[in-house]
Amino acid sequence: MQPKFKGGTELAKLKSLLLGTCAALALAAPVSAETLTFVSWMKGDPGYGDWWQEVITEFEKTHPGTTIEWTKVARSDFADTMFTMFAGDNPPDIVHLASFEFAPFANEGWLEDLGPWIAEANLDLTNWSGQSTCQWDGKTVCLMMLYTGYVMAYNEAMLAENGIAAPPTNWDEYLETARATTKDNDGDGVMDTYGVGIALKDAAGLMYATQGFVQDAGGSYTVDGKPAFNTPGVIEGLRRLKQLYDEKLIPADQTSGEVRQLFIEGKIATTVDGPWIYNTMKTATPEMQSVLKLSMPPGTPPVGGTSNVVTMPSDLSDEKKQLVWEFIQIAASEPFQKRFAELGSSPAPRAGIDYADLIAQEPYFSLFIESNEAASSAGIDRLPKGLELQFNEVQKIFFEEVQRMLIEGRSPEDAAAALQTAVEATL
Amino acid sequence: MIDFTAPRHRAKFGYLLLGPAVVLMAAIIVYPILLSVSISMQDVRIARIGGESEPWTFDNYIGLFQSAEFWEACWITSKFVLFVGGVSLVIALATAILVNQKFHGRSAARLLVMLPWAVPEVVATVIWAWMLDSSFGVVNWMLLRLGLISAQIPFTSDPTAAFFAVSFVMIWKGYPMMAIMLLAGLQSIPEEQYQAAEVDGAGVWQRFFYVTIPNLLPVIGVALIMTTLWVFRDFAIINVLTAGGPLGSTTTLSILTFEKSFAFFRMGEGAAVGVITLIICAILSRGMIGRFARSVH
Amino acid sequence: MRTRSLPGNIAVYATVGAVLITLLFPIYWMVITALSPSNQLRSFPPRFWPENPQFNVFSDILAAQPFGLWMVNTLLIALATLILSLTVSILAAYALSRHNLRGGESVGLFILLAKMLPATLLIIPLFAIFKSMGLVGNIWSVVIAQATMIVPFATWMLKGYFDTLPHELEQAALVDGCSPLGIIFRVILPISAPGLAATALYCFVISWSDYLFARTFLSTSESTWTLSMGIASMKGEFTTSWNVIMAASLMASVPIILVFLVLERFLVGGLSAGAEK
Repeated sequence: MQPKFKGGTELAKLKSLLLGTCAALALAAPVSAETLTFVSWMKGDPGYGDWWQEVITEFEKTHPGTTIEWTKVARSDFADTMFTMFAGDNPPDIVHLASFEFAPFANEGWLEDLGPWIAEANLDLTNWSGQSTCQWDGKTVCLMMLYTGYVMAYNEAMLAENGIAAPPTNWDEYLETARATTKDNDGDGVMDTYGVGIALKDAAGLMYATQGFVQDAGGSYTVDGKPAFNTPGVIEGLRRLKQLYDEKLIPADQTSGEVRQLFIEGKIATTVDGPWIYNTMKTATPEMQSVLKLSMPPGTPPVGGTSNVVTMPSDLSDEKKQLVWEFIQIAASEPFQKRFAELGSSPAPRAGIDYADLIAQEPYFSLFIESNEAASSAGIDRLPKGLELQFNEVQKIFFEEVQRMLIEGRSPEDAAAALQTAVEATL
Repeated sequence: MIDFTAPRHRAKFGYLLLGPAVVLMAAIIVYPILLSVSISMQDVRIARIGGESEPWTFDNYIGLFQSAEFWEACWITSKFVLFVGGVSLVIALATAILVNQKFHGRSAARLLVMLPWAVPEVVATVIWAWMLDSSFGVVNWMLLRLGLISAQIPFTSDPTAAFFAVSFVMIWKGYPMMAIMLLAGLQSIPEEQYQAAEVDGAGVWQRFFYVTIPNLLPVIGVALIMTTLWVFRDFAIINVLTAGGPLGSTTTLSILTFEKSFAFFRMGEGAAVGVITLIICAILSRGMIGRFARSVH
Repeated sequence: MRTRSLPGNIAVYATVGAVLITLLFPIYWMVITALSPSNQLRSFPPRFWPENPQFNVFSDILAAQPFGLWMVNTLLIALATLILSLTVSILAAYALSRHNLRGGESVGLFILLAKMLPATLLIIPLFAIFKSMGLVGNIWSVVIAQATMIVPFATWMLKGYFDTLPHELEQAALVDGCSPLGIIFRVILPISAPGLAATALYCFVISWSDYLFARTFLSTSESTWTLSMGIASMKGEFTTSWNVIMAASLMASVPIILVFLVLERFLVGGLSAGAEK
């Protein structure tokens, strides 16, 4: 690389060439009559991503002259990116958010009140799964796009090898299965397989997994919108987690993604997760796929919850709002909702869809419906009601207190009391 | 035209040269700093640019000075700075001297030494996270096989182990830059000084301490400032490896700033942490520049 | 020229070898992961070479993603940033090194300011600034932002290096009637090859691996995506094909390695190289 400072004119030429190229690149996006921007983490995801693409195609077909510019931002960066865009006064036209992150946006008044739009379009939202979570301050600020109940994925062969004939259906059987399948197969002092897959490194994963134990013990993180951590149900749930940890039945320090990966590679016997675990299972080797199965989780009621919502910014031109609403309508329409169930392998939030043919095609579909109904009829949500605004903080507090309990050997009672105090302090 | 070579105009020329850098900083950095100071003085959860601002108050700062987690973060940040900075310097110096020797494959060795720098931070951290994994990681496996430990080290759930794991990754990622700078600096040491020292009977270590180090001081000084500021601000490595845990044992001021601003939506407090970080860094830099970066001649 | 004895040689080679192995082990691990099939990423006990190496992972990425576009964008940004940063830094570093300016130290500190504020607090204000300039979605926003982050250290790196150069050459040039700018370009820079090379390398690497600014300003215009954004987008919501990401990262590191190979001989040019008399 010759020194660049020799020859000022060469430098100038290079600079203008650079500027020209950059300008050309910047203007490369085609200009159309109307362009709606849509940012989502689901772009490119098999299943859900394909469905959104179909909605977009349908919209562009029925609205010639309008195109949707769809870009992807990874889930781990999504909240920050959305927050920056909104705070910098440049939100996307079609707003897609996870259900546990939209509350601060709604609280700032950044989201449009969809109530009038829904009324005018006569959109019937009765029994629309999880829609109640979209109510904020008396207004409907979004449309719920997915409500799921959790299932248990298990390695049938690993269970059978260790004398477990059927997947566990309650806590005692679960513990027994875990003990039987956590083994050191080659005698080198290191565990090769573990009975239970819980994401101990993941604040969200840990909170959801513990919720399963808490619910099975009859407890709940919040009661009537107020934190209720210092209750017998929660204490029992914590105790169960601690027992699994102390008996070393869980691989330490894994994130949710890593737990799923370990499961499909045959290192973990059971894991409780959302229906998306099924998509992950489909990427395993054929030999593994033949032994990986799904069933209802061993706790009752199962963990469940809202997943993601769609809405629009409140600061948008009326013309654009109309267009975005029509996009949302397509997504909410019955044929597309059914297609969602088909592509995503889980029931759509819209009520009253006939799933007979899907059930015939996909044997696990009725399992997903069963879990959904069990969770929603018990009013379960992973997002604790009343703590939506502080959810990230609560998650972190929960994570730290539970870690303290596990690592420092505190009692579940002490942990629960500490949790209650800390969470109340954030309100 | 002013004759810039004349001594009395020399200073003007100096300021002119500094112009572009100052303008760039002023245009791009000053506004964010002022905005952050403003937000840090308001009791806001989410601050809107262009929105009405709340009345000014020192509550955020008072709250911080009274919170244990803030002081903990200060302590942890300084631990990282000292440990990572010190060890990186030693390793970088040793490496630079090593690849400055003449041997076959020297160019290739230099390239390989600098490779950790080329790997994106997030990817490097993920690989280290896997290698250090308590249950299935290769590091634990090797240490067990070699008999150096009797049980797996849970690098991300044991506070001490986590600190060292993060430090190690930071050193791994950070030392190449120092090494490159030191290598460049080694080139400008005149051979005559070494020869003169040898003639005077100086041994290898004496040549190192009396010729190499003094000549390298300006470069070492700059390298230390750069590493200090880098460790202060680093976010990606800690976030991916431990997310500030376990139990806050790797939560530096930078992690705290992000957490409060973007995760908990307490932008007022987050901005306050950021402003304090700025002040601390400014004081540190002033001190270090004073000590190290004067010209040797 | 001191020659080394055989034990000395062995010592040097052995040390170099040991150092390289320890430092490069993660890179080797990256290569292994990249070549593993996506459903065998967490084998235990660890495999030191995949059973079924998938060499096609590299071509698969090139076929499935606009990797070439990402690379061109990243390259353009890096070059623009390099030119802007180096120009600004060389001038400032020279001033700090050679001119004993009143308040020079404070100005030097001021230039470092960018590196003292946590990046978290820069994001939203910078977004607002660039939005008002209409540069969101335009690579120039990233270039300016990156240059602002690079200039502080680049300036101080060069200053540190300039400080080690003897003053005699400049004094001789002044006597010969050389203009002040001429001194910089014709006397100092030619003998600063190592410092310049180190700084250029620093500029390039920082720009190449930037993710924060690219993500903040270019998220919504996919045609301007850089390599770091493209690779980040490969992270799935529920699982991530880390083998693909490792492979992509290895491919993305190639240009940096090439740049280093080019700059390397300047890095160790020595004081005598280029000092014409």
